[in-house]
Formats: sequence, structure tokens, C-alpha cells
Amino acid sequence: MGLRSYVITRILLTIPTLLLLLSMVFLVMRVLPGDPVELHFEKKATPEQMERMRHLLGLDKPLWIQYIDYLGGLVDIRYLLEHGYPNLGKSMQTFEEVGGQIFSAFPATLELATYSMIIASIIGILLGVVSSESYNSVLDHVIRGFGTVTYAIPVFFLGIIFQLVFGVYLHWLPTGLRLNPVIEPPASITGLYTIDSLLEGNIIKFFESSKALLLPCLTLGIILSGMFIRMTRTNMLETLRLDFIAAARARGLKETTVTYSYALRNAFLPVLTMMGLQFAILLGGAILTETTFSWPGLGRYIVQRINFRDYTAIQGAVVVFGLFVTLVSLVVDILYAYFDPRIRL
Amino acid sequence: MEKIELTIIVLVLIGIIVSSSTMYYTATVVGNLSTLTSDVTTLTESVANLTSTLRDLTTITGLMAETLGQYNETLAALQDRLTEIEKMLAAKTKETLIVGTTDSVEKTLDPAQAYDYFGWCILQNIAGTLVSVKPGSETGADFLPELAVSWNASEDFDVWDFNLRQGVTFADGTEFNATHVKYSFDRAIALIDDIPEGAPAGLEYDKLINSTEVLANYTVRFNLNHAFSPFLGIVSCRASAIVNPTYAPIEEVGYHAGDSRASTPVAFVGPYYLTTWARVGGRDIEIRLDKNPYYWNTTGEYPKTKTIIFRFYSGPSTLRLAVEAGDIDMAFRHISPTDVLDLEDNPSVKVWWGAGAFIQYLCFQTKRAPFDDPKVRRAVAAALDRSAVCDTVFLNLSQPLYSIIPPGMLGHTEEFQKLGDANYALTQSLLAEAGYDESNKLTFELWYESSGHYPSSADQAIVYKAALEASGVIAVTLKSADWASYKQNRDDEIMDAYVYGWYPDYVDPDDYVFLYWASWIHTNYHNATQEALYDQARATTNTTLREELYAQIDEIAAEQCSVVPLYVSSAWAVTDPRVYGIYLDITQDMRYWLIYIGE
Repeated sequence: MGLRSYVITRILLTIPTLLLLLSMVFLVMRVLPGDPVELHFEKKATPEQMERMRHLLGLDKPLWIQYIDYLGGLVDIRYLLEHGYPNLGKSMQTFEEVGGQIFSAFPATLELATYSMIIASIIGILLGVVSSESYNSVLDHVIRGFGTVTYAIPVFFLGIIFQLVFGVYLHWLPTGLRLNPVIEPPASITGLYTIDSLLEGNIIKFFESSKALLLPCLTLGIILSGMFIRMTRTNMLETLRLDFIAAARARGLKETTVTYSYALRNAFLPVLTMMGLQFAILLGGAILTETTFSWPGLGRYIVQRINFRDYTAIQGAVVVFGLFVTLVSLVVDILYAYFDPRIRL
Repeated sequence: MEKIELTIIVLVLIGIIVSSSTMYYTATVVGNLSTLTSDVTTLTESVANLTSTLRDLTTITGLMAETLGQYNETLAALQDRLTEIEKMLAAKTKETLIVGTTDSVEKTLDPAQAYDYFGWCILQNIAGTLVSVKPGSETGADFLPELAVSWNASEDFDVWDFNLRQGVTFADGTEFNATHVKYSFDRAIALIDDIPEGAPAGLEYDKLINSTEVLANYTVRFNLNHAFSPFLGIVSCRASAIVNPTYAPIEEVGYHAGDSRASTPVAFVGPYYLTTWARVGGRDIEIRLDKNPYYWNTTGEYPKTKTIIFRFYSGPSTLRLAVEAGDIDMAFRHISPTDVLDLEDNPSVKVWWGAGAFIQYLCFQTKRAPFDDPKVRRAVAAALDRSAVCDTVFLNLSQPLYSIIPPGMLGHTEEFQKLGDANYALTQSLLAEAGYDESNKLTFELWYESSGHYPSSADQAIVYKAALEASGVIAVTLKSADWASYKQNRDDEIMDAYVYGWYPDYVDPDDYVFLYWASWIHTNYHNATQEALYDQARATTNTTLREELYAQIDEIAAEQCSVVPLYVSSAWAVTDPRVYGIYLDITQDMRYWLIYIGE
């Protein structure tokens, strides 16, 4: 199979995956107790008023028609082009467009996820390599210990410790939120404050938004690095035992060249997969980190909507999340196939 | 001849020698002179070079001195600028109050729709009402003139006239008058059908207000459908905010974030206007209130602080950290009881305490066994231990409640004290009459809300269960549901006993007493006598009579126990020590226009 056929097959396979996910979420949300219309009318409403609201929300239609309406909305290209986001229906509580809500929360999550992944990758891969290089030494044990501790430690715990140390005691960094409130957020171009402030040429805003990002990203980055340290180390140890490494050494190549150019390149593929999937999960919202740092991202949005039985909002969030995971998996698979032709066979 | 010739030759020779010597000497002198000249020239050049070098050196030194001077000047200027910036920052801090909260506006800020604490809080600070409750009021019944300067009611309290303040303008230049009052109430009523979840629907404006009449340019009359003495409470609440018709059309409800009306100062006539309202995923991330330059009440230099910025935190612990770190000037709603007690010992913050109006109560499903029998309900009520809950769960920041009307308010009694707390003798005897004993215990499910809608619900439930089972004749199974399911269960009437809560719309016993039989609580309890007493109390302002009537209602309530009061909460706020002007009174209103940061 050529690379193009492989890519096409993989893309086509994502459609039933997403459809299955969507159907499951659609059904599960509707069998849970709690009527969204009842919930919307907090105090009282006559049965007629409730019925009218059900009609407005399309909840009076048979389930299968609701399902088809929902799918129809999702593939409405005209809506997508007009609004810049897919038609995921209207929130059952606020009556705002779910697509709009999700994509307004997304930049905060994307910014958090991206910088956290950068920190996690740098710490994880570097320490993993160093650990494998100094196999069974004190340094190796220390790094492994660090990896295990960071992997095991809850994100909210480390977050609170950081908030206490850098926020409450040292007053160096803010304890939460995206920007100092007296500073006007930069004009939204990408939605990422660090990038937008640079595009605006405002170094103060860049500095302030970086300050706000530092603690949550450092927390999440350190927590995630544990996993990367262990994966990199294990894969590096296996790779370093292979013949081509011995051959490279025998040719008198420098140890750093052997480690980074030969071994790491080969040991990196499984780590890349993990990074991809982890990044996709983070894009769905790092719920605990977002809660600890009051970060207004997708994670907090989903928790909030679940509490209100906001069917359409939860469906929308899960679909978008599913889409991220599927897309990232697709990209990782394609990268794999590109780098390792055996996969296409 | 020979002698002469010889002499001549000698003389010539001498002449030749002398002239040669002279010439040689002259040539040597000339040569030396030339060398000397050359040396002098070199010397001159060297001197010139040296002079030039010295001059350059002087220039460089001068330049260096100049640069140093300029550097010093720059440094001094920078220091001055820094001091200036510090001053500006200090001034900016004083002009801006940063408030941290875990609240969020639920849906909109349209007075015809908003019916949540924080939405009402923002509305109160941007929108004017005819009257308001005096800050610091202990009873909630001291009304101050706002957009109305005076008022009077008919003898039967079914016709209310208000004389309006003159010279008040909306920011678009529209002058406020009686037509705006009529429009605002007509609109609230007209939208009830479309917004049954809104405050005017909840407060039944349509059933209460028959018509609103414009008697004169600055006089308005409310014709009520029935006698209603607490009407000032109604007109002081946020559902009665006066709106600008241009920005609040009668056929349209809204005022959502992003709505152009939401960021315009012209919709209301309150002390502030909403300059920023950003939401992400249906939750506030940024709210900014700026001083309304058209605000009518400038006598007290209100609002005291030019700008109020709200920051939204995800939970009590993050809010606490933010106020401790100095990220915010004030934390209001909700820092947990444990944290607030802990913060009392922290000198870098100030804790403010106040009366609470939020209550919780136990409801019984009276339409079926076992709670269709008042004896059984009384038996369970007698076994409750309110003090244990207030001590252990709320760390004494809540008080046991023995009447549905909180203490401090007109009509509060201690009627449920008759049943006692952990009064197991009474529980056992009442249950024995109903056929229950140690071998045949009364068993039921006690429900509580589990998604944080009410404070510490699970902890409360555990303490209630322990106290009830300590009677030896009751066995309780705890059940919980998140807020969505809980309300559904309430409406489906599947819960035997459930803990519920109430936060008043207006501070008056009228807004509490009806909870004993409120249909939306679904206890299926009705009592014509209590309801008649309630109507009677609504028709008089005679406080002694009202007190008597509410006492009679309470007496029946303690006998019937359809709803059993549990506790009333206290209120608290945590601020920077330099913050002043907070009134935490029974209304639970946060009047931001009175708050300021001092030295």
C-alpha cells in the first residue's frame, strides 16, 4: 500500500470512529436522569411553558429525529464557513451556540497544553536520555525516582504547592487566571495571549501572560514529564543495546552523536506516539490543572456543563475532544508510516 | 723676490686653509643648523602632537564627564519616573477594586430574566430601583429612597403611589420619568410567559400587580390584585430594576454577554455601568464595572471606587490563595468556613462578618407513608441535632434555626425548640405511638445534593444520619444526587426526606413563611389555616399583628413538620486590610459603590 492509500484509509476509518462516539454520547446523555428543561426553569413553569421550551429545543421530537438533526448540523458546511466553527446546536441552559462556547474556551486550553507539552518534552526527553546514558548509576536512580514521583503526584497538589510558594510566600507569580485584571487582553487573533501580545507588539502583555502561564504549565509539564522520562529511558536502553549502536561506536563516533543522532532518533517513535496522545488529551481540557489555576479552558467548561445536564454542550465537547484524539492519532500514524515504511506494508 | 714670493705663497696657502676651514666650519654650522631646524621642527611637531593628544584627552575626559552627567541625569530621571509609576500604580490600585469570586452570572443580566445571586449582585450595582434597603439594616425592612423620593400605600395595601426623583438621566440623555417605571414593570410581566424561570415569574408579578399607572410625569401608581404590605421589598429587588426602553425592548429578552446592550452604559441608571462582560463556555471570565458619570447620587461621592474588576476562581481554595497572595483586594463568595477561620489569624488580610439570610431545611414527602403521619415527621424532627451540624460541619459559622424565618427578621420564633434537638425520649414515644420501636425501626432514605449546590451537603447528611440513628428507633439510608437529578427527583416526588435551601428574593418574612407549603418543593402539604394567616399578614404593616400571625403559622408548622428548619448561615468576606465600606447585612447584598481602598 502506498503512503497516499494508507492516509486515505486512515482518514476514512476516523468517520465510523467519530460516528460511534457521537452515537454513544447522544444515547448516554439521554438515559441519565435529569430533565434539562426542568433544570432550565429553576423555580416554576407551567406544563405548557415546559412543552413550549421542549419544542424550541427540539426535545419533543422522536429521539431518532433529534439524532439526525444533530448529525445534519455537524456536517453543515455553510454554517461552518459563516461562523468559523461547526454547528453543535444550542446550549440547553444558556441558549448560546455550543460551537461558539467551545471555541471560545479552546484557545486557553491550547495555550496551556502547548506550553505544558514543551516543558514536559524538554524535561522528559532530556532526563530520560541522561538516565539511560548513566544506567544504574546514582544519577539514573535519582532521575527514575523523580520520574516516579512526578508521575504519581496529583496535579492539584503540586499546583497548590507552587501557588503557595511562588504566589502566597514569594509574591512572584499570580496564583491563577490568564492575565492580570488591570491589563486589557491583547486583541484576539489566535486567542493565545502570548502570541497575540507579540503580534500586537506589546511586550508588557507578553510578559504578564507568560507570568500567568508559568505556574500552570510548569505544574502540568513536570507532572507529564514523569511519563516521558520513563518511556524515553526504557526505549533508549533497548536501543542502546542494538547492534547498529555498537557499530556506530566501533566506527569511533562521538558518544553524543551516537546517543542523540542514532539512538534517540530510533527510541523517539514510541515517545512521539505518547506525546501525541497526551497532547490530544490535554486539548480536551486538563480539568484538574484548569480547576486548580482557575484557567478558563475546555476542562472547566465540560465540568460546568455536566452539572447542568446541558446535553448539547456535553455532546459538542465530547465530539470536539474525539475529533482531537482522532486527528492527532491520524497525524501520528501518518508520521509513523512516513518514517517507517514497514507500517504501510 | 724669493722671500716675497714665499710670503705670498704662504699667505695664499694660509688664506686657502683659513677660507677652507671657514667654509668647512660654515658648512658644518649650516649643516648643524639644518639638523637643529629639523630637530626643532620634529620637536614642534611632537609638541603639537602632544598638545593635540592632550586636547583629545581633555575632550574625551569632557565627554566622559558629560556622559557621566547625562547618565546621572538619566538615572535620576528614571528614578523620578519609577517613583511616578509607583505613585500612578498606587493611585490606579486605589481607583480599582479587584474582587475574586467563585460565582458567575447564570444566564443574563436582563432584570426580566436574571434570577441568580451573582446576576442580581451585578444588576444591583448597575441598575437602579425605586427604593433600596438601608446598608447595615438588621431587619431588612429599612427602606431608603432611590429613584422614588417618597411613597404611600392605600389603607388596604393594594394601591401604592411613588413620587419619583427628578433630574435623573440615562447615559443616552433620556430623562427618567414615570413612563420608565410603568414600562419596566409592564415589560417584566409581559415576558413572564416567555421566561417562566425568570424572577418576575418566580415572584408572581403577574398575579400581584394588576396595573401600573402614570399619574403624572413623576408619579406612578401600582394597582395590586390583593393587599400586599411587603411591596417595598418587591420594588427594591433586582427584578424591579428600571430599564431604558430603547435598550430593553418589550418583545425581546436578552442582555447576554456579547449582546451590544451588555456593554453599553445606557441601559440602566445605577452607580456603575458594565464596561466589560466576557464569558467562556457560559461562565464569566471577566467583568468590569466603571463609574457611571451620570449617576444621580453624587452627594456621598458615590461610587467610592472608580472601577470594579471581578476575577473568577474555580473554587474556595484557589480563591483563598488569591486573596492571601494579594492577587485580589477582596474575596467574596465563597471561601470555606475552615479557610475563613484560618485567615482570621493572618494579619495580611481582614475578615468581615455579617448576618446571613441563607437557610436550609428538611422536607418530608407527606403524600405517602411513613411521612404522611405528622407524628412520624415530628419524631424525626425531634431527633435532629442542629448544634452538632453547626459545630462540626460549619465550625459555628452557621446557627441552628428553629423557625423558617431567620433570627433578626420580623416574626422569627423559636417554635421548633419545643421538639428539641436530639430529643430521643420524644422521638421514641412518638414513634412508639406510630408503631415503631427498636426491633421495628423507622427506616427511610435521606437525600442530599451532591454537586456543591449547597455548602458541605455530604458532611451535613452524615451528621443528621448519626443523630437520627442515635435515637435507636430510626435507620437512615443516605442517598445523594447532583443538582440536576436532585431537582428532578424533587419534582418526581421520589424522595421521602430531603434537605433543601432558600435564599430570599426580598428580605421579608413573607418570602420565607410560604416555604412550609410551597408547591414547587413538592411536599404535598397544604394547610388552609396557615395560608389564610399568611394572606392576613400580607395585608397589614402592623408589625405586632404580623408577628402574631407568623407566630401562629410557626406554631402549626412545628406541629405539622412538613418542613423542618435546620440552620441559617453567616456571611463573610475577606479583604486586603486597606479595604473599607463593606456592609454584610441580612440582605446579603454587596454594595460595591460604598467600598473603597484607603491608606
